[in-house]
Amino acid sequence: MTSTAASKVPIEFNDKVVRQFMLASIIFGVVAMLAGVFIASQLNFHQLNLAEWLTFGRLRPLHTNAAIFAFVGNMMFAGIYYSTQRLCKCRMGNDTLSAIHFWGWQLIIVAAAITLPLGLSRGKEYAELIWPINVAVAVIWVVFAVNFFLTLHKRNEPSLYVALWFYIATIVTVAMLYIVNHLSIPTSWTHSYGIFGGVQDGLVQWWYGHNAVAFFLTTPILGIMYYFLPKAAERPVYSYRLSIVHFWSLVFLYIWAGPHHLLNTALPKWLQMLGMFFSLMLWAPSWGGMLNGLLTLRGAWDKLRTDPVIKFFIAGVTFYGMATFEGPLLSIRAVNSLSHYSDWTIGHVHAGALGWNGFMAAGMFYWLAPRLWNTKLHSIALANFHFWIGTLGILLYVVAMWISGIMQGLMLNQVTADGLAVKNTFLDTLQAIRPLMGLRIIGGGMFLLGWIVMCVNLWKTIRSGTPVNEVREVAVLQRGGTDTMGVKETFFNDPTACTFGAMLLVFGWIFLPPGADIASLVCAIVFGFLAVRRFQKTSHTWALWYDSLLHNYLPFTVLTFVAVVIGGLIQIIPTVTVNSAKNVEDRIQKLYEPLELAGRDIYVSEGCYNCHSQMIRTLVPDVMRYGDYSRLGESIYDHPFQWGSKRTGPDLAREGGQRPDSWHYEHLMDPRSMSPMSNMPPYAHLNTKPFDQKTLPRKIAVLRQLGVPYPPMDGTEIKMKALEQGVKIATELKKSNIVVRPDSEMVAVIAYLQKLGQFEQPAVEEALAKKGQGVPFPLSPIIPDNGRRANGAE
Amino acid sequence: MDPKKPSPNNEPQLRDHIYDGIQEYDQKLPNWWLFTLYIAIAWFVVHWLCYYQLGLGSSDTVVIDKAMAEMQTARDKQMESISDEQLWALSRDPAAVEAGKATFMTPGMCVTCHGPDLSGMLSGAKLPGLPLNDQEWKHGGKPTEIFKIVRKGSPDITKGMAAWELVLGMKRVSEVVAFVLSHHKEGEPITRAADSPGATPAAATTAAPAPAAAATPAPAAK
Repeated sequence: MTSTAASKVPIEFNDKVVRQFMLASIIFGVVAMLAGVFIASQLNFHQLNLAEWLTFGRLRPLHTNAAIFAFVGNMMFAGIYYSTQRLCKCRMGNDTLSAIHFWGWQLIIVAAAITLPLGLSRGKEYAELIWPINVAVAVIWVVFAVNFFLTLHKRNEPSLYVALWFYIATIVTVAMLYIVNHLSIPTSWTHSYGIFGGVQDGLVQWWYGHNAVAFFLTTPILGIMYYFLPKAAERPVYSYRLSIVHFWSLVFLYIWAGPHHLLNTALPKWLQMLGMFFSLMLWAPSWGGMLNGLLTLRGAWDKLRTDPVIKFFIAGVTFYGMATFEGPLLSIRAVNSLSHYSDWTIGHVHAGALGWNGFMAAGMFYWLAPRLWNTKLHSIALANFHFWIGTLGILLYVVAMWISGIMQGLMLNQVTADGLAVKNTFLDTLQAIRPLMGLRIIGGGMFLLGWIVMCVNLWKTIRSGTPVNEVREVAVLQRGGTDTMGVKETFFNDPTACTFGAMLLVFGWIFLPPGADIASLVCAIVFGFLAVRRFQKTSHTWALWYDSLLHNYLPFTVLTFVAVVIGGLIQIIPTVTVNSAKNVEDRIQKLYEPLELAGRDIYVSEGCYNCHSQMIRTLVPDVMRYGDYSRLGESIYDHPFQWGSKRTGPDLAREGGQRPDSWHYEHLMDPRSMSPMSNMPPYAHLNTKPFDQKTLPRKIAVLRQLGVPYPPMDGTEIKMKALEQGVKIATELKKSNIVVRPDSEMVAVIAYLQKLGQFEQPAVEEALAKKGQGVPFPLSPIIPDNGRRANGAE
Repeated sequence: MDPKKPSPNNEPQLRDHIYDGIQEYDQKLPNWWLFTLYIAIAWFVVHWLCYYQLGLGSSDTVVIDKAMAEMQTARDKQMESISDEQLWALSRDPAAVEAGKATFMTPGMCVTCHGPDLSGMLSGAKLPGLPLNDQEWKHGGKPTEIFKIVRKGSPDITKGMAAWELVLGMKRVSEVVAFVLSHHKEGEPITRAADSPGATPAAATTAAPAPAAAATPAPAAK
């Protein structure tokens, strides 16, 4: 297919940028883990909330963003830049782009590290960064993408290796997820409202959040595994066929699983069901990656004893297998009813982040450092020490979180003997898990210690060598059969036609009206059977087609994008465009008054959502503890939604009107005065700062633009309204001998908290008239949801 | 590494192409792995068929509404047995009073606002709660009236006491009331506070004038 008898040219790889990314990742790894150990300690020792910008609510986003984007991000770029150049047998596309990518990314990290502690936040998990930084991320990502595809374009290796498939999937999918989830309208240079609200925002957020795990923390690292593991083991990859099957099934299925973060909530049930079942189907594709990693070592297991790199890789892949088994388990609605909002989820993500990402990173760095600095690893003994203390640390962490999550879940579900009241207060359950949260600090600390040992080891390694850029003689590719595939050849052939045909029929089964749906399912099964028969007969041509696809990077990228885009389209479009009545159910939330809106924005920027959910699930223990289950309409105007993902404190969906203003004041000033043994940070600083009156008119104007039915009000009116309500609350507090400024953030937050859970019960038509900008999706009337449907909407 | 080297353990042939020194076997997919995938897909199809086409299984809202309605019925039944006499009798039962005291004194509960000695004071400072050891009652001093306040909270919760029924349950509420009553005598004078809400609410009425915002204990109530 290609001519290899071509002229040879020497190529110097751009290894400088690899070294830069690697060092950045190592340093930000320390930062992220240090922040993790610190905020874990804050949960047990509230005294560590040392200042307003060092509270748990503000630092937790810093920890997650540092771990994902700074630590794993830089590690991924190091791995991708190193392996792509070698797999393409050419230097990275453009040196300037490489440099812009590196420095731009570090600048973004610095900006994040400054803005997050300042409380500048969009209030969506792993998407907290404010809009100017979002724009920068998107731009830098595009720079990276252009640089990467430029490299593919000028490659001297005709065929794309499996690692590159995963990099391609990462680049296109992260771009899509990031842009859609960050669509917002600015209200100032530091604040914006996302264009989605309520359930739509929830769905988009977890489509993004789950797939940030999938396409930022998993697929690039799988690519790295496919390059560095066989390199280190010096063994062939176990199975090319398995690579194909698990790659395509993984990228296709992953996107669908997002709703498993919203199980048993007000999210329409068909989405919950899709989230659950696609997570279960995802188990095998995930394990395909693990198998290909582990079984590559067949015949070289002895290396496990001697080579620390192999140790880290194998432990990393094993943790990947463990976490991807646990994930589907936690996605089962019944299991999730216990595990969700608890430490179990925290344990799960850390098995992934520390075990999989952390160890794959360490293995890669130990392998890269001697090669990039032309020397030998300083100390194998220290690397082994790192391995063992890291492993023990993760195990301690994960086991502590399992026990903590299950215990707190069970305690929260306990009822009194007559079955009519909950048995334990939330604070009781918090006290019970404190020792386990303590063990978590130790486990995380051990992992951090191992990491620091690695820093020392690599520092000494680097000191003993000098940076070198590898130079290689490579044959220049004669572009005969490479990058010539057209649209027809890409889409109109047996493999794609059979796949898309079967898929279309399955979607028909899900969405078509009764009768036609079953017919579609029968057709899908028959079609699938015929497709398998056809494959068995002509598998050779299928294999040839795939081989030629691997010689064509653009068609490959397009097909990958199609595979990842389907799940999102099917889940999000009906929810975003559907007739609004479906999203309202029988209740619609009352509009936030200006002061309450100001309070809400403070609540969001303080990161209260990190510990408090606002979503009472359709579960008996939830309803007994927090009140009637949440309806979709009750958060329809929430930009961003605040359903939450973890309950370190109790749910607040119906907190409004449950306690006196004075209770909230005392509780915010010193949580332990009202809730002894609480671990909540104090928020006394709210008392000293005035709330932001200046941007309120602009904020309300933007919300009106987004479909929140505020009446027309001018700026003065809005500010007056806010102050009047503030005076009212301040006067009420005065009766309890509490003096607050009526324009303080404290008053605004109290106003917001007292508003939580207030709703009206409008006629559905009226609700429609109020928020009727939705264009009905053609398939909407038959969305198979007989569970949660607007009363009388049909 | 020689690509054409025969594999030592009867392994399948290596693929021809070598990527930067990395070779690939082309092993068959493990059967157990394939079956894991097939079973997950089949389970999806079967489950979806059962739920959406055959109508098996109830929706979440139906299940929860039913469970909460049953609880409400049981609560109403418990309420029937509550009377002034019964609560006074309970206040003379040392076991009930002791249990009530334990609940009262639990950090974060009654003691936080009403003080350990029920005086509404803590070391000279006034706490948010009213004193419970005098004879002045803002919302009525009959045992059933006290009982109602503990269960449902004060008429406007944002300006007074929170509702405790869902947290404590009927049994512990009656024990707490018994504990409070153990500081009083049956038939002692009851005075109304100066800022008492005008009309005396009818004792033991369960229909609390809860604002729309307040969580209703059970959806059946709406």
